[in-house]
Amino acid sequence: MEKISRRQFLGMSTKAGAATLFTGIFAPTATSLFGLAGVAEAATKRVDPFTFAILTDAHLYDIKDHKFDDILRKGVADVNSMRPRPDFLLYAGDLGQSGKKAELLKGKKILDQLKMPYKIIPGEHDYYLDMGKAWRGLFGDEHWSFNHKGVHFIGMNSILVPDFWTLKGLTPRERMGMMEELECHQCGAWGVGEKQLEWLARDVKNVSPDTPVVIMTHSPLWDYYPRWNFQTYDAPQIRETLRKFDKVIAIHGHVHQVVYNEIGNIRSSGLLSTSWPWPYPPVKLDYPQIKQRRSDPGDFEDGLGAADLALNSDFDAIIHWREFSDLLPANIKNGLKI
Amino acid sequence: MNNTHMKRICICSGLSLVGALFALGIAQAKPPRSEAQAAQERAALFTAVAKGDALWHSPKLGTNGLACANCHPDGSATNVHTWPKFQTNLGKVGTLREMINWCIAVPMQGKVLEYDSNEMVAMEAYATYAHRGIAIDLGKDEQHGGVPVKSGPGYPRF
Repeated sequence: MEKISRRQFLGMSTKAGAATLFTGIFAPTATSLFGLAGVAEAATKRVDPFTFAILTDAHLYDIKDHKFDDILRKGVADVNSMRPRPDFLLYAGDLGQSGKKAELLKGKKILDQLKMPYKIIPGEHDYYLDMGKAWRGLFGDEHWSFNHKGVHFIGMNSILVPDFWTLKGLTPRERMGMMEELECHQCGAWGVGEKQLEWLARDVKNVSPDTPVVIMTHSPLWDYYPRWNFQTYDAPQIRETLRKFDKVIAIHGHVHQVVYNEIGNIRSSGLLSTSWPWPYPPVKLDYPQIKQRRSDPGDFEDGLGAADLALNSDFDAIIHWREFSDLLPANIKNGLKI
Repeated sequence: MNNTHMKRICICSGLSLVGALFALGIAQAKPPRSEAQAAQERAALFTAVAKGDALWHSPKLGTNGLACANCHPDGSATNVHTWPKFQTNLGKVGTLREMINWCIAVPMQGKVLEYDSNEMVAMEAYATYAHRGIAIDLGKDEQHGGVPVKSGPGYPRF
């Protein structure tokens, strides 16, 4: 199958303007190419059925031949092997571990092996060494939206915290080091912040309520376990902005596990990483039956994987968690209808 | 007075003495710790827990950047209340300390600790602290998230 063209992928109308050359990811100006009018025109209720793939949380280290490099390569190979081929891939953050440009470059080189375009958002591990500078240089905007075959896709940066470093006089490396700890005691709760909330409100203002919407963030848009930032503090505002839609599919990285939740019109799915699995935190799950098996520490690929989402014409969707080892119980082995 | 009578007197006297000692609350073999001593001992324990926390989050135990906390935030999924148990990757009934060393040696590609080293004891103290109050259940096959932790620097954290 040929690579999908940028124009086809973006679902742009001809008047949406001059498309720049497609280079594996969207150019930094992709968001601005749309404009609100483009969003409103492209969105329709019916979906032209398609599949897209998801990878997340590679946590690449700036160490030669690190084992996580190969696991991300395995994820890319898995996505490339999917039939029908996914139209594109979404990457849900934490491509690197310590925010180093070398990590992100290594990750980009591997992701560039994808046989379809991809769109990416930052995670905290990509970000807090230089406040996203290297990441933006490689991947462009931290938040974006586009339309594809009738679906409005949104990506946002959900890992922003208030400044905890200036008063403490922390170096960028120290700041990053603290953020690298999942259970950082002084880093604060993550969110998207006011500017992105305003952007989101503008972005969906003219999108009709019957438009299928998919939103990707690094952290969940619900209070799962705030202690580990399995949350986004301004998720209630995001949910309010998206409330007008009939149905919203949310996907998120960060949790390194299969998890599912529904709040109002939003159906959220957590994703497997390609680095390490995390245990379920000490809270009650709303959907305890949608859970991966405990992973075997002796098997470095256990608890890891990719995912795909198949959308039909009515915006019924099936998410497949594609585990690298035998991880999923029978009830979700063949996908979950969402 | 015959021997039997003497024995009775002795036994009765002995029991009375024991009873009296219990009543006075001085039946311990040694005097109780003072509050200052207890505080010192408790501080020593939490110093070990804090040291274990630091080690737990340090990539220096390994050689590939990974720390214990990468996979075990807040000491979760160490399941300290289930050890010793048969652990597949150890291939035998092993201890938590053996599992800690396995993680250092294999996924983290580091140098194992002496089993009775201060570092190992501190790591065990940290992981155990993260599971305080959870009932011991030897060999239970479960993955436990540990005790929900209140954020903030220092110990104890309740």
